[in-house]
Amino acid sequence: MAENNLSNKIRRLRFDNGEITQQQLADKVGVTRQTIIAIEAGKYAPSLPLAFRIAQTFKVPIEAVFKYQDEET
Amino acid sequence: MNRAQKISLTMVITFSLGLFLGIILIVMRCFDVGVPKIAFLFPVFIAGSGGIISITCFKKDKGDIIFDERDKLIEKNANLAGFGAVYLYVIVMSFLPIGILGEEASIPVTWCPVLLIGAGFCQAFAQSIAILIQYGRRDKDGGE
Repeated sequence: MAENNLSNKIRRLRFDNGEITQQQLADKVGVTRQTIIAIEAGKYAPSLPLAFRIAQTFKVPIEAVFKYQDEET
Repeated sequence: MNRAQKISLTMVITFSLGLFLGIILIVMRCFDVGVPKIAFLFPVFIAGSGGIISITCFKKDKGDIIFDERDKLIEKNANLAGFGAVYLYVIVMSFLPIGILGEEASIPVTWCPVLLIGAGFCQAFAQSIAILIQYGRRDKDGGE
């Protein structure tokens, strides 16, 4: 999948929230572990509902998880 | 590696092998080595064995969730790649006989179902490659 301009702090948040594994997070948000791996690595931009589910899992606003980096900035 | 990746990898390997053997047989036939027509069924069988292996060997993935939005997107793009490949195949196969045999030549009607089988293989091959490319290599994913 193509690289995207979306950076994220999922890895950091996973460790800050009891060191939950990628599999546990995947089960909580309803996706496969491969998808979590791809999102963490910035290889896949999740859909808006999935991004919100991830943020809700960590009990933080969506902008605390994902950050859009414009190419010009 | 999930089930779709395993199936795609098997398909790519068997199709490549079948294609390679098919090319060898065609070349041998061109040089009048004495290859019987029935021998051409062998590469077709090799190529088709990918589907049989996939159905019998690869069981469903473990875990509650085996298919999500990313898989759906990859499948959609792969289908599109397969369609594009068949479209290209039809264009090439429509003009190739004219280029090779000439304008005045004729081909047996039994070629038509063979071309159809070829289109099926072409679609599955392109789809498998597209799936493998989109999922990427496992060791680069950084899984834990």
